[in-house]
Amino acid sequence: MIVERIASQIRHRLRALLRRNAVEQELDEELALHLEMEKEANIRRGMSPEAARRQAVLTLGGVEQTKESVRNARGVRPIEDLVRDVRFAFRSFARTPGFTIAAVLVLALGIGATTAIFSAVRAVVLRPLPFAEPERLYMLWESNPEMGWETQAASPANYLDLKERVASFADVEAYGSLWQAPITGLERPIALRVRNVTGGLFSMLGVGPMLGRDFTEAETWASATWRAGETPLLLSAATWRTVFGGDESVIGTSVTFNGGAARVVGVMPEGFAFPEEGDQLWVPFGWADEARDRAWFRRAHSIWPVARLADGATPEQAAAELDAVAAQIEREHPEVNRLMRAGMSPLQDFLLGDTRTPLMILLGAVGLLLLIACANVGNLLLVRASAHRRALAVRAALGAGRGRLVRQMLTESVVLAALGGAAGIALGVAGTRLLERLQPAGLLRVTSFPVDGGVIAFAVAATAGAAILFGTFPAFLARHTGPGEALREAGRSGSPGRLARRVVGGLVVAEVALAALLVLGAGLLVRSITELRQVDPGFDPEGVVAITLNVPGARYRGPEQVIRFYDEVLTRVRALPGVASAAASSTLPLRDRGSTSDFFIAGRAADEYGTEVVRRSVMPGYFETMGVPLLAGRRLTEADGWRGDGVGGVALINEAIARQHFAGEDPVGQRITLDRSPDSTSVWHTIVGVVGSERQSAIATPAQIELIEPFAQNPEREMYIYIRVARGDPARLVPAVGSIINDVDPHLPLFGATAMEDLVADSMARDRFLMLLLLTFAAVAVVLSLVGVYGVTAQAARQRLPELGLRVALGARDRDIIWLTIRRGLALVATGVALGVAGALVATRAMTGMLYGVTPNDPATFAVVVLFLVAAGLSASWLPARRAARVDPADTLRAE
Amino acid sequence: MDDRLDLPQGTLDLLILKALSLTPQHGWGVSERIQQVSNEVLQIPQGSLYPALHRLERQGWIRSEWGTSENHRRAKFYELTRSGRKRLEEETVAWNRLTTAVELVLRMG
Repeated sequence: MIVERIASQIRHRLRALLRRNAVEQELDEELALHLEMEKEANIRRGMSPEAARRQAVLTLGGVEQTKESVRNARGVRPIEDLVRDVRFAFRSFARTPGFTIAAVLVLALGIGATTAIFSAVRAVVLRPLPFAEPERLYMLWESNPEMGWETQAASPANYLDLKERVASFADVEAYGSLWQAPITGLERPIALRVRNVTGGLFSMLGVGPMLGRDFTEAETWASATWRAGETPLLLSAATWRTVFGGDESVIGTSVTFNGGAARVVGVMPEGFAFPEEGDQLWVPFGWADEARDRAWFRRAHSIWPVARLADGATPEQAAAELDAVAAQIEREHPEVNRLMRAGMSPLQDFLLGDTRTPLMILLGAVGLLLLIACANVGNLLLVRASAHRRALAVRAALGAGRGRLVRQMLTESVVLAALGGAAGIALGVAGTRLLERLQPAGLLRVTSFPVDGGVIAFAVAATAGAAILFGTFPAFLARHTGPGEALREAGRSGSPGRLARRVVGGLVVAEVALAALLVLGAGLLVRSITELRQVDPGFDPEGVVAITLNVPGARYRGPEQVIRFYDEVLTRVRALPGVASAAASSTLPLRDRGSTSDFFIAGRAADEYGTEVVRRSVMPGYFETMGVPLLAGRRLTEADGWRGDGVGGVALINEAIARQHFAGEDPVGQRITLDRSPDSTSVWHTIVGVVGSERQSAIATPAQIELIEPFAQNPEREMYIYIRVARGDPARLVPAVGSIINDVDPHLPLFGATAMEDLVADSMARDRFLMLLLLTFAAVAVVLSLVGVYGVTAQAARQRLPELGLRVALGARDRDIIWLTIRRGLALVATGVALGVAGALVATRAMTGMLYGVTPNDPATFAVVVLFLVAAGLSASWLPARRAARVDPADTLRAE
Repeated sequence: MDDRLDLPQGTLDLLILKALSLTPQHGWGVSERIQQVSNEVLQIPQGSLYPALHRLERQGWIRSEWGTSENHRRAKFYELTRSGRKRLEEETVAWNRLTTAVELVLRMG
């Protein structure tokens, strides 16, 4: 029975909503009948038809009121009112398309930009690592004040000692740096990006392969591989799909990896990328057991340990133990580990690295933009409400309930917020996709940003909140002033109340201030990029392409084979048409610095040893190919070759080390060795020349001290071949070089090719991207605030029209009128700019890490920006002022 | 007009339900019937009657059907539903209890 009654309720309410016309008609009929029956009853009582009808009407009372009461009893009143309000709101917006478009656009911009940036930041910064209990994972690093190391990779021996001795860690595993290895045995030889790991790394992280098996602890050591006869490989899901066919039967596939036998043992899950996206293949370190006693095992700082806190251990305990164990190791190995200490950082922070600052800056910028959007929307709504103030007052005078009016305005604001919100979400999603695609590789470390529901909700709430607040604000004002007062104060249409004017003025000041902040930040970045562009990387990138090659140790055992290979390749490459010169080097400027070493210069005092000299090998002709000048002595030639094991040869040094360690002397002829404290086994090289410094790490990092050996004297397996073409695009030669390599060794793939000009541009790509983003925000902010300034001035001018008309009639000149009107706009802009500059003086300090060649409070930038904003504000207020001056005073006075 | 009794909504509902308990009736008929039976004391204005009728219909106590009135006009006739009949019984019992109690209190001392 209850079900029936509920059904009845629903049925009647729906009918009242959807078939309103029919329902109203029925009610009319019903009431008409009632009147008719009463009239006939009156006739029966003896009245004339006329009197009967009149009496009936009197008795029954107002039909309209009855209808209203019945409508209220239908139970759908609130919905009907809402629908009516919404319809009215749409009609009203349609009548003022300019305002509507502006408001929706501003809302959409604010919400869209915020959503896009927030999603990106969230994906990178706030996303928790997809590992078991990621907050208990820590990165370990070594430090050494003498070497200038703050967070340096650990050496394998140190890592093992830390692993065994620090009880606060349940487990410590490690990974190495990324390198490229040739894989053959598939359709074509291919080079894949490989990372060495310890056997237990993935199980410590808590991630298991989705196919096949994980590495075992034992496989960290070569003995396991030697017994099995092949290296185990773990593939990334993407590699499995694109290179290995995506078939489940991939497990057990045999390939040749870096010249040796290998077998695919597993595939890691989709989306798993540790430590970096782009790692295609994981391989155990495969250290030889004997390596534990070798010097390099403790000296080569090349691996990154990751530790998991033991249950019940605290990070503080672990840090203390870490320190103690590091001191212990130092005592046991005083020569190698002098002053070496270890430290730990939460894994998430470490992986984020130096992307945090730019992201936070972006976040701040977009937050500012959001605020400006809110202010602008508020501005628009207040101005609109002011224009309607008179109409509102009239409606109030006619008896519209205040609550009703507020509800009406609330509905309007909500509709506007909904429109803007929908547009904003669409813009935000599109913007996020755009960011994903445009971001320079490595800036944000993540390639996909899921659009976050929470972010959308926040952005919508912020702007919608602003819309609703400012939309209903005038209605609340109307509550407190009686209709008569409102009519009086309103004067002619379009004139706002005093409070509304103040609020609008405040909003414009806020907008200008925030815009100033953004423009200053963007301006600093622009200066920074300009400075960066002028940095000399140390070489001439135009017309040069670099091709990466890495010959596997298994097939190129001895130095002679390596030298022979590269000699052959270079000879053929030089013979290619269009090649002006070609050579090879073991490092890539701005990208791959190569290894470093201690050194000692003959004739110095025993404690004057040097640390951290970059070392590399080059083939003759490198410096000409790269346009690096020779500053003293001679270049390397073919004659500088292999002298035999342990016999020293020649070397070049770069200008940086010449300045630092040979100031005032001639380095040519002096001898240098790559040991900290030389003994009888040390190998000494004679310095034969000094070359210009190339920036090894990044465009913004000054060149480090460097020692260059002839390739024939110290051949490396991984080399970069540099080719300079006389004219045109150097990259066009890459396929030809590929065939040469294929001819010389069919099992060797081309590892990669980069035009040096692209490399230089890429090195600035990150900063340029940030600058463009910030510049966009700043531009939008400036436009928005200028519109605000224009609006305020225009309104003030309109309001004062009669007064101005009077002044003109009394003899005021154009100039005076303009000045009178412009004053307000100027005052707002000046206040806003002053506030913005004050804020920026403090806020831009946060950008210090991102700026190159310019200080956060650079006076030139500040001055230019201030001038620009004041000029812009001036022109924005000048237009309406000029129009005010043009008006015929007779017209304005007549209209009074 | 001014000495009309103001009926609370629950009482009005009860009267309407009772008025419809015998035969289906249209709005005017309901008010006439109540007026006559109460010796002209209870005069329900149409401003109260029709909202009540529509509400009762929405709530499912009565249902309506279009038919022809005595004077051959199209009229909306209301009648009790089964739930309505039950409701009438319950509300009558409640009303009697209430009035008896009130009477007792008014009679005391």
